[in-house]
Amino acid sequence: MGKTFTFIGLFLVLCLALLLAVVAGDYGPWYFAWMVGTVMIVLIAACGAIMLDNQRQNGNGEV
Amino acid sequence: MPLIDPSVVDLSRLQFALTALYHFLFVPLTLGMTFLLAAMETVYVITGRQIYKEMTQFWGKLFAINFAIGVATGLTMEFEFGTNWSMYSHFVGDVFGTPLAIEGLMAFFMESTFIGLMFFGWDRLSRPGHLAVTWLTALGSNLSALWILIANGFMQSPKGASFNPDTMRLEFNSFLNLVFSEDAQAKFVHTSIAGFVTGALFVMGISAFYILRKQHREFAARSFRMAALFGVISSLAVVTLGDALGRLDYLVQPTKIAAVEGLWQDSDANGPAGAAAWLLFALPDQQAQANHFEIGVPYVLDPLIAHSFNTSIPGLITLEKQVGPRIQSGIQALDALKAYGQTHDPQALASFKAHESDMGYGFLAQRYAPNQDLGQITPANQDAVLAQAEKDTLPNVFVTFWSFRLMMALGFFFVGLFSFAAYYSLKNQLERHPFLLKLCVWSIPLPILACEFGWITAEAGRQPWSVFGWLPTFQAASSHNLGYMIFSLIGFAVLYSAFIAAELYLMFKYARLGPQPHLTGAPESSPSPMFAPAE
Repeated sequence: MGKTFTFIGLFLVLCLALLLAVVAGDYGPWYFAWMVGTVMIVLIAACGAIMLDNQRQNGNGEV
Repeated sequence: MPLIDPSVVDLSRLQFALTALYHFLFVPLTLGMTFLLAAMETVYVITGRQIYKEMTQFWGKLFAINFAIGVATGLTMEFEFGTNWSMYSHFVGDVFGTPLAIEGLMAFFMESTFIGLMFFGWDRLSRPGHLAVTWLTALGSNLSALWILIANGFMQSPKGASFNPDTMRLEFNSFLNLVFSEDAQAKFVHTSIAGFVTGALFVMGISAFYILRKQHREFAARSFRMAALFGVISSLAVVTLGDALGRLDYLVQPTKIAAVEGLWQDSDANGPAGAAAWLLFALPDQQAQANHFEIGVPYVLDPLIAHSFNTSIPGLITLEKQVGPRIQSGIQALDALKAYGQTHDPQALASFKAHESDMGYGFLAQRYAPNQDLGQITPANQDAVLAQAEKDTLPNVFVTFWSFRLMMALGFFFVGLFSFAAYYSLKNQLERHPFLLKLCVWSIPLPILACEFGWITAEAGRQPWSVFGWLPTFQAASSHNLGYMIFSLIGFAVLYSAFIAAELYLMFKYARLGPQPHLTGAPESSPSPMFAPAE
């Protein structure tokens, strides 16, 4: 039951994101670019940290 | 109506420039740090590793110091519009006040509420709940900037408003046009991403300091890696977005772009279209309307500004000459408006409507009209009045030219610095390059300087207008006396300098201390990743 609600919640968030993307893409392409770009920048920075963790696990202790 | 004392106008401008530039010493760091904190906490929530929580909390502490002082310096500016720029507030308050109010009511309260939850909610919220709060803090701080930049976008390129001759004000006709104005959009994205660069270099610089001193190695290596990657994309984005903003300014404020490039003659004046040089160095001379000691790169200017090899970019001399008919038309608009105000004659209103779009240019002539009365301009003295008013339509070329170049040079420097930093961080070879690490430490204040130069370019380049094409700056101020202005200017300078001293003291103190074990409290009993790896 809990998972169903989680999926419904995530589905609603997805719908909202799509709606926002369509409106922002049409009327405010720069705003849309900022939203997509910012999330991308954050995720790439996060990936860099996780990559460092993996490098450490593989025995590279250098900084 | 008599004109306001020019010394009072100059002091009002100086005071606003001083308070805005002081305020903007703090803002970019807030804009960038919040999303870096969101990135660090995202990794903490996904991996469950305690070190990322320590990173979020330590960098969050430095962010908090900056945020508190940034808020204090920003509040006074909103009041300044009323105290020092009352004519401006009357003229555009209907439009300008709305984004400021939304900023205060929505974004600022959202930001403040979530910052409180972010700092005091570590033990009260679930991990995903706290992560959501951190993301909302980042969004709130950038939304706060969004509304301010929408307001500034209106000053640069007025959209969504029309002049009401009965109330003598610019009034709203489209909220959507105001919010989705291209200038507002481009300014917001450019400014926000410039904040990302500032936040990234701040974290990278302090992490480099720890690596050089061989302190908190694992903490610093991860912070440095994240900041370097965050910064390399942000710095590339800020340069490309700056180019797009420049092209937009070329379309709406050609005088600003000509001043930015020190372009006195049309770009095809000395050769074929597309061959004009982009100036690396020059000393613009406003009186002589020429540059001294020019050093330029040919075939770069036209494609850089107009994104075309076949377009001639008008120079400042041409733009100055072109504005004459608009000033004449503006004088007719103001004469008709005066007649309509006295008689409400529909014919006068029709005459005003025919010249309405040039009304602001008529104001420029008032300064040079006999007894500052446009009604006393006659065919005999008109040419002299126009010649003087035309010269006023050009911004200060030296200031605009050099502030832009310094900003741009710093922007390219950041691309290079972040690229090397990210490369050596990804290869885990940072300690083999101490000079790079030292450069990162020394460069911490540079993005803030670049932001300041950017604002100087944007605002000095917009002159002589407070609202481009509608309201000259010299008519926007309040009619204070000189003593009041000098007293308040000194007061602000002393107070804000004290704020900066406090910020620097606290920043140095806590950055030198580094991450403390007490920040994190007892280690979590069973830190587990949010998404467990498959067996």
